[in-house]
Amino acid sequence: MKKLNALLLPLVFSSLLVAAPATPPEWKVPLAVKTLDNGLTVVVSRDDSAPTFGLCIAYGIGFRLEPKGRTGFAHLFEHMMFEGTPEARKGIFDRVVEGGGGFTNGDTRFDFTEYIESAPVSALNPALWLEADRLKGLDFSVANLNNQRNVVEEEVRDNVLNQPYGSFYWLDLPQKAFNRYPNAHNFYGDFKDLDAANIGDVRKFFETYHAPNNAVLAVVGDVTPEEVFQKAQQYFDSIPRRAVPAKPDVEEAPQKAERCSVEEDKLARVPALAVGYRMPPRTSPDAIVGAVVGEMLQNGQASLLYQALVKRKKVALEVDGGVNWPLGTPFEYGGPTLMTSFIVYPPKVSERDVLTAYDGVIQNLAAHGASQAELQRIRAKMRSDWYAELEIPVERASVISHFTLLDGDPGRVNKIPDEIAQVTSDQIMTFCRKYLVDTNRTIISRVPETLMGKTVNDAKGGRP
Amino acid sequence: MKLIRATVFVLAGLMILPAAWTQEKTQPLPKNLPAYGPLVPFRGPQVVQKRLANGLTLWMVSRAGFPKVSFAVAVRGGMASDPKDRPGLSKLLMDTIDQGTQSKNARQIAEAFQADGGDLTGDAHADFTESMISVLASWASSTLETLSDVLENATFPNSEVALAKRNEADSLRASEAEPSFLANRALAREMFDNHPYSVTSLTQASLAATTPDQLRRAYAMRFRPDRTILVAVGDFDPGPMANAVQKALGGWTTPAGSPAASVPQPVQNNPHGVFLVPRKGSVQTAFRLGAFGPLESSADFEAAEVADAIYGGMFGSRLVNDIREDKGYTYSPGADIQERSEAGVLETRASVRNAVTGASLNEILYQMNRMATTSPTPEELTRAKRYLTGIRAIEYQLQEAVAERLASLWVVGLPPQELGEESSKIQTVTFAEVDQAGRKYFPASRQTIVAVGEQSVIQQQLKPFGLPVHPVE
Repeated sequence: MKKLNALLLPLVFSSLLVAAPATPPEWKVPLAVKTLDNGLTVVVSRDDSAPTFGLCIAYGIGFRLEPKGRTGFAHLFEHMMFEGTPEARKGIFDRVVEGGGGFTNGDTRFDFTEYIESAPVSALNPALWLEADRLKGLDFSVANLNNQRNVVEEEVRDNVLNQPYGSFYWLDLPQKAFNRYPNAHNFYGDFKDLDAANIGDVRKFFETYHAPNNAVLAVVGDVTPEEVFQKAQQYFDSIPRRAVPAKPDVEEAPQKAERCSVEEDKLARVPALAVGYRMPPRTSPDAIVGAVVGEMLQNGQASLLYQALVKRKKVALEVDGGVNWPLGTPFEYGGPTLMTSFIVYPPKVSERDVLTAYDGVIQNLAAHGASQAELQRIRAKMRSDWYAELEIPVERASVISHFTLLDGDPGRVNKIPDEIAQVTSDQIMTFCRKYLVDTNRTIISRVPETLMGKTVNDAKGGRP
Repeated sequence: MKLIRATVFVLAGLMILPAAWTQEKTQPLPKNLPAYGPLVPFRGPQVVQKRLANGLTLWMVSRAGFPKVSFAVAVRGGMASDPKDRPGLSKLLMDTIDQGTQSKNARQIAEAFQADGGDLTGDAHADFTESMISVLASWASSTLETLSDVLENATFPNSEVALAKRNEADSLRASEAEPSFLANRALAREMFDNHPYSVTSLTQASLAATTPDQLRRAYAMRFRPDRTILVAVGDFDPGPMANAVQKALGGWTTPAGSPAASVPQPVQNNPHGVFLVPRKGSVQTAFRLGAFGPLESSADFEAAEVADAIYGGMFGSRLVNDIREDKGYTYSPGADIQERSEAGVLETRASVRNAVTGASLNEILYQMNRMATTSPTPEELTRAKRYLTGIRAIEYQLQEAVAERLASLWVVGLPPQELGEESSKIQTVTFAEVDQAGRKYFPASRQTIVAVGEQSVIQQQLKPFGLPVHPVE
């Protein structure tokens, strides 16, 4: 793949295969950046290991900025981006990409919305053409809006209303943890708001945020930067730059007290809880420490919370979480965010016992930090996980587009493992004492209907 | 050592426009849409095959660049080989296999893998158990040492088994709240009746009755080198990797006893009817439809895959166009062919709001019968073949996907070359073969139908179909 690595690394590491070297592999992806006259930033990462490409175009608009009275609209709008244009009517987009041997999808997140395609390189031209085409204008069809409103409401039933736990750890927790509308509303959408959305809203949202100067196009795969730049110029250059509203202030006043609440779950049979601590802004020097702490606490079977809660104290069935979890990595957020822990625990265990064990882990980390061996392990795991994020073209394109949109610096994708490696035990202790404190957290206890009563008292009594 | 040449199929030189859509209601292509470029040949990976003296099969794919290595270990004998009175025992076995060896406790094992950049995951399938881990390439030999310890020396400590039993009992309760879990379990039970493939999960009775000794015996019987494949994919040279595997696993011995019993072919007489799993408080009906399809080794497997893509496997398939993009009944419908060693199942999934339960089943059955009674259009055929080919080239960029796929090929007795050849087989599938697969596998009258949701809603709305409706657990 990368010029240096392809020649050198296999020889070096293979010969050391049995000797287990002390240093991890260094791996960096090539990056070339060009900004078109209309403000569209194009980033290319060449990878000729397979004759395919992955493409991501990310727009600087997400859940946070959807209008009041239109909760869930950013996501509904994302669906409308697949519903046709004056040139390429509904159905054409998927037919052309799938007929080219690939797939397409979209994702809405707090601070951006992304559209992805991956296919054999022979389908790159039509894919780029289609992306440019839908940035020129949509079909704005009422019938298609009605259709996708139904589809989105079905998506909400599928992921929220008909599921135990109903995704409360990412849908409800921010609503309790934050105060301001951008950070604290139903991102999937209240049905009354989804029902109220009209084609005028679609048009306005499109015209307000979908400008080339509010987008990043990343292409990764068996392509050269020169050819992608040339094609981007050819297909996107005629799309005019437009004034995009300045990013509003979405910051929150500091949290003063712990927030606890209880939710009754009609479908679940086993109780769960979610804990969310407010995190520093992504640009703070503390952010990288938060990323490491989040992974030490809940990345896999060796993590501190798994070992303590599931294994030693036997008070939990599973523990998952992290910073910006589960909607992205700890490096891809642009406003108030949480470190979340999602814990499912046995009905016979009290919530109080779960939280006591949880607090014990946090307090121990705050008091003693991490040993050199622990640091080495988490660095290796996070480096390995980070490389996995960049392994295949479509995922690499996605991460690159987010970093470019948020930081203006795609090169940071190559710096993350080294930033992680510099985090010290002292920083971890300082971070825990500053951020992982009761007054900075929100807890939601999710109790099965059949167990309401005994567990409620636990939760209402607040904390041990 | 045998070196397998990469399979190369050449489609280069074809300069094709996306075919004109001939189906009714489809829109014309934009006049300025650029044509597809020439297809670049997709090369299946070179797989180096080796067999250790103790019988262990080793397949290696060496790919320079991305500095990680993925290991997949498949051991023959899965849930279909569990004792009849211990359904799901394999799941508990895979939960506890890494919870202690003669020299390491559970935490030390987890931390050893973490230090290499990985986390061991395991799963029990019908025909095999699988362990997977991806680590930084520089520490792959260390990973092999820990992995071999787990494969050869697991002790199933009493305290760890007790904890796993308790947690699995609660996890089973938690899973029973999920519509997908209930639907999958019911479909397998109804499709396979008394055949061991009917088991897809543990039961509370089985959990309560299982002892650490039973796990140790099942482990001793099944985990043996002559019934195991190790697949390594990633940034290494095959020579040193083979040496590292020999060092780590060469001393593993095959016990004298006989291995897990083989699984008979199921009788293919699945019932045509509705099996209703009542789930109070449901705001959707979750449908699973199943019918017997081809085995992966069948001559018409690829034709059936193409037919499935046209029917429900692609986003632009008939089923998705109908019940999602046209009618808005559902969010994520789909269909695929689920393979076990001795049976293939054509499976359809859709979760629909209560009010359109009957209307949705009507459309699903209509689209199946359409596959069974009419031919695909040339455009559908071309698109499905290109989609299935391209999607493999994309998927196999992920080294974990290559490792897992190779392990599953070995389990069903197919050679590693299949990984590259499956795409060329898809490309040579003919119109007549797809047409035939549609007529053979898709008739709605072959379907076993599972519906999970509000009992009264399902009973009322499915009454007009005139099918027997059986409430089940």
